[in-house]
Amino acid sequence: MSTILARVRRLPTVQVTLSLALVVLGFLIAAQVAGEKPRSQYSTQERAPLIQSALDLQTRQEALKAQIVDLRRRIGELEAQDPGAAESLRQLYADLEEARLAAGLIGITGPGLAFRLEDGNPGAGVDAVVSARDVRVLVQELWLAGAEAISVNGERISTTSAVIDVGGSILVNSAYLAPPYEIKAVGPADLYDRLRTSVAFVDFVQGRIDRAGISLTVAVLDAVDLPAFAGTVNLRYAAPEASPQ
Amino acid sequence: MNARHVGPAHGAHEGAHARRIRGADAPASRITLTAVGALLGVLAVGQLNAQAGAPALAGRSAAELSQLIGNLTAGNDQLRAEVTDLDAQRAHLEDAHSRGETTVDELAADLARIRAWVGLTSVSGQGIAVIVRGPIGGDAVEDLVNELRNAGAEAIAVDGVRIVPGVVVAGAPGALSVENNAVGDTFEIRAIGSPQILTGTLNRTGGVIAEIGAAYPGAQLTVTPVERLTLPATDRTLVPAHGQPRI
Repeated sequence: MSTILARVRRLPTVQVTLSLALVVLGFLIAAQVAGEKPRSQYSTQERAPLIQSALDLQTRQEALKAQIVDLRRRIGELEAQDPGAAESLRQLYADLEEARLAAGLIGITGPGLAFRLEDGNPGAGVDAVVSARDVRVLVQELWLAGAEAISVNGERISTTSAVIDVGGSILVNSAYLAPPYEIKAVGPADLYDRLRTSVAFVDFVQGRIDRAGISLTVAVLDAVDLPAFAGTVNLRYAAPEASPQ
Repeated sequence: MNARHVGPAHGAHEGAHARRIRGADAPASRITLTAVGALLGVLAVGQLNAQAGAPALAGRSAAELSQLIGNLTAGNDQLRAEVTDLDAQRAHLEDAHSRGETTVDELAADLARIRAWVGLTSVSGQGIAVIVRGPIGGDAVEDLVNELRNAGAEAIAVDGVRIVPGVVVAGAPGALSVENNAVGDTFEIRAIGSPQILTGTLNRTGGVIAEIGAAYPGAQLTVTPVERLTLPATDRTLVPAHGQPRI
């Protein structure tokens, strides 16, 4: 032992440093090679422009949504400033504001929950990747428990919102969402108590989350902020019925 | 390693040789060390970038990315149309303001459109009717509703109940309910939208109807295009009671 130590002491510092650096280099090269393995089946040359296109479209989508929210805010301001604001017109403003609130076109804040869903570690025969169906089940259980507004990664769930799997990703309101998924809900103060007594929610946690090793965490909050729905509300095929409801 | 050949017996010359070896090695080692360090840096940054990008798009195949691009493109087209409409509405309002006019008709039209979209008024239009015969779970009905939304359905009703935020069809086969109303083993799902797109989406190979058929072999689903459907308004109060508008 003392002989080895003595030999090590005799080694020049440069050699020791170089050896250590080479060991680390070896680890990094191995990690890099291992990281490339699952992707090696696809052509990098083919994918690079596609990834860039997807990222560009996503950036464009975010800009369009911001533009929509801003235009709606501006229109609301203009309507509220109408110079001929008679009583009947003021009622119309109030109805419009109420309809926008009901439709989720206005961001809201209130008591609620914030869930976080994250992929688990892949195991033998277990799908540990959070799917659109997992997100949908959680959203449905929240509705059934009394939630009055929900968002997924900042996308407000509206009457036309679909949550779908596309190419191993999740799309909500046509927006590409990457994990972890944050599902926020505004509702009554006892929303979580109602949720955890739901048999279907317990089944979901035990049968899917626990079994697959998916991470599900929840925070009960006094104030949860939900954004406005920033998609289209234009109707192309449906027309309002003439008779008022 | 070379130092082992340098012994004291070689005298001054050997001392000079030793210095030469060490002196010659030192710059070489520095160069090697610098090169290794640089390579280490590049690899470490590459590894960190790979870790950061991994959850997003890096692991997707070309086909998956193409599908994603198709969805994003279609979504952006819709958003662009909405921006155009809203911009025209804003311009019209500003114009009316500048002329001191009221905009009652604009407001009323906007109100009617939003109320119809969210489900506060009944709507009519072309679409499809899906007749379900046989026991089926709430999960399957929700999957079908989700697929209809994805295919662009503008309004949906299940067994006569308008589907709006908060309304969920739930229950085991034979015990379905929606909005506290029991749903029998035979019922209808109606959706307003493009009949071709809605029918094609539901009936495609490996689509939602095929999946439901596999999960619930006792159920039979039939999709029929309909020239004109009327869907009722929701009975729900959709204005949040616990949430307040964000200022």
